[in-house]
Amino acid sequence: MQAIRKLPETDAVVNDGVEIKIENMSVRFSDRTGGGAIDALTNVSLDIRQGEFVSLVGPSGCGKTTLLRAIADLQEPTSGSITVRGQTPREIRLQKKFGIVFQNPVLYDWRTARRNVCMPMELMGIPKQQRTATVSEMLDMVNLQGFGFKYPHQLSGGMQQRVGIARALAIKPEILLMDEPFSALDEFTKEKLNEELLSIWSKAKKTIVFVTHNISESVFLSDRVVVLSPHPGRISAIVDITLPRPRHLAVKDTPEFSALVSKVRNSFEGV
Amino acid sequence: MKPVNWKKIFASSIWVTVAWVVGLIVVWEIGATIVAGVKRTPENVLPHLYQIIGSVFSTQKVNSSQTAIQLVLSNAWVTLARAGIGFMLGASIGFLLALLMSRFVAVEKMLFPYLMIIQMIPILGMAPIVLAITKNIDKSRIVIAAILTFYPVATNTLSGFKAVEKEKRELMYSYAASRFDIYRKLLIPYCIPYLFTGLKIAAPMAITASILVDTLQGGGGLGCMMSQSLKHAMTIYVFWQIVFLSAIIGILSYQLMVWLEKLVSPYPKELKNGGTGKAKELEA
Amino acid sequence: MRNWKESWNRFSTVFYPILFGALMITLWQTGILHKILGADTFTLPMPHRIYTIIKENLPVIMQNVQATLIVALGGLFLGSLLGYLLGVVAAIFTKWGKGGLTLASAFNAIPIIAIAPILNNLTKDVSPNANIRSMVAKILVVTITSTVAMSVNAYRGLTEIKPFSMDLMRSYAATERQIFWKLRLPNSLPFIFTALRVSVPGCVISALVSEYFAEYIVGVGRQIRENIVLAQYATAWAYISVACLMGIALYVVLLIFESILLKGRK
Repeated sequence: MQAIRKLPETDAVVNDGVEIKIENMSVRFSDRTGGGAIDALTNVSLDIRQGEFVSLVGPSGCGKTTLLRAIADLQEPTSGSITVRGQTPREIRLQKKFGIVFQNPVLYDWRTARRNVCMPMELMGIPKQQRTATVSEMLDMVNLQGFGFKYPHQLSGGMQQRVGIARALAIKPEILLMDEPFSALDEFTKEKLNEELLSIWSKAKKTIVFVTHNISESVFLSDRVVVLSPHPGRISAIVDITLPRPRHLAVKDTPEFSALVSKVRNSFEGV
Repeated sequence: MKPVNWKKIFASSIWVTVAWVVGLIVVWEIGATIVAGVKRTPENVLPHLYQIIGSVFSTQKVNSSQTAIQLVLSNAWVTLARAGIGFMLGASIGFLLALLMSRFVAVEKMLFPYLMIIQMIPILGMAPIVLAITKNIDKSRIVIAAILTFYPVATNTLSGFKAVEKEKRELMYSYAASRFDIYRKLLIPYCIPYLFTGLKIAAPMAITASILVDTLQGGGGLGCMMSQSLKHAMTIYVFWQIVFLSAIIGILSYQLMVWLEKLVSPYPKELKNGGTGKAKELEA
Repeated sequence: MRNWKESWNRFSTVFYPILFGALMITLWQTGILHKILGADTFTLPMPHRIYTIIKENLPVIMQNVQATLIVALGGLFLGSLLGYLLGVVAAIFTKWGKGGLTLASAFNAIPIIAIAPILNNLTKDVSPNANIRSMVAKILVVTITSTVAMSVNAYRGLTEIKPFSMDLMRSYAATERQIFWKLRLPNSLPFIFTALRVSVPGCVISALVSEYFAEYIVGVGRQIRENIVLAQYATAWAYISVACLMGIALYVVLLIFESILLKGRK
């Protein structure tokens, strides 16, 4: 649908499999009241491969959201570098290759679900006919057929978040960045959406960076779980999740799953 | 056709309002009866409501060509038209100013303290001097109505622009949206309810201002007729009719804004906090 | 770099408004403002002239300020008290109270100008002294205009209580009276200030306008009008400036009270 120009030199980077490369990155917030500064992240290095599902997990204040925001060009690193497909995050953002899903659905109250999904495509100047087709396709993908003409306040929290995901996918981004997208939902809805997200991911073949504070969720979804610890924010471990795919909720009852959850939990330092 | 649910209708708040209105009428009539017993000219103090209503339908001419109600309505038009022009002018200026202030921090810093001060100073008290400067009753009606409209609109719209959640702005940023698109697709639709809060405050004020300016000079308008009637240049019932008419116009101007807001904002706002329209989670 | 940016930010918050104010006064004093507005120095006198008049006529001006202040504050006090009591009554009889308040807020749209003459007529027999009966009429106008805002906000403050605090009170088997004093009344305090932020500037305006219609010639508002009728525009401007200062002063006093009484909230 949406033709995305691929630069030849970018392809070279893609070919060796690394989509996002973070090297020795630090983010420091200066304290407003004049006291000390806060080290949100110190010397973080991480490679994320193309098509990989990576979770950033950790307690509050560990800098997981800051890391995601730095990738998305919403936060400037104090030192170190981030490259996405060999380019800076800003260049990637200006090419509109990021899809972001926030903790709150961030829907526009004055637009129906369909028109919310449509919004980023309007910004990109995609012709109306194509927009309509894509919106229907996206709403199908997140199982919201028949709810397109509802306004956000008429939808439940889980449905609102699905609209948010559909909107993020609508412009066919290369990278999907998700900041605790399900943390405000109840456990049942969350598990269902986890399963749906995996099926969307297997169809859409995106690189997903997923921030959560829920260990079980991160193990269930990811190829790799990056464990962050606070004070100062840093990566304390990276756990490979070897569970077979496609995964279903039943995998949570297996001993392998429990072992991985324990492994992640035991990787936290300090706190 | 659904059967009429009488129980629901009786339980609704409309009946409470009706009861209140009836209560007020009773209180007024009791007052009028007492006044009629003690005062020499009770119609100057508190006439019976039926006397006022009767005067509306009276065919007796109060000047060379018009009955009381014809006189009142023709003057109401003069007052309303000027209030309307001033209101629209003030609303546009207020909105544009809020837009400028949201776009340029320097403009906001420069003007915001003055916007705060304006709401503390009695603009209506300045009506006579505005008339003296403009030397034209119509112009001063428009100017005063515009000033009174401009600041509630500007402050409320600005607070709307500022209330936009950070994440909503970041979403636009992550799509590298142009500034024009950010305004067109996010900021302006977002601040519409705030704009209407300002307009609802301003509409009755613009009318009050227009009537007040009328009283400053002869020449027409509700306020002018009211002063003349109070000075007994014509029947006192013109005054009472104007009292009721100005109350009705004031309330209607507010209602007009409520109605306009419903027309402009496409989604049913009252559901927003009620949660009554919430759909069930979709079963997979 | 960042510190420099922050201190410029702080500096400009003060500097820009002063710059704007200085610019306006310069335009005014140099007569450019007159050209823009199409006014002459007779109807729009120079700032220094207004200042001189205020300085020279201070005793007379203060007499009028006093008269207006009595009307404004007296009406504000009575209206707010009445409004709060109405809010309490409405909070006790919720179903009827809510309807009454909806109606009351509709009356808020009635122009003051329609109320002022009625009250002048109503109070004709209150006292043989024109000054006193005018004063009563004016205070009543201000009372009426400040009642509605307070009653609506008091009702909200007394009834919009955080979900679990009521359950907490019930779990202690608190009586309605205890709930009122320990929960509802403190809860309504910020709402009282919300109302006052509307009605403090409102009471000055109502006082000035009610003076236009009053029988007895006294007060800042009436002086503005009388001086214009006599074509003494500079004096009228002096009174306008005083009226503005009054409005600002009362609002600042309110903000000080608010910051003391609501300390630690929000």
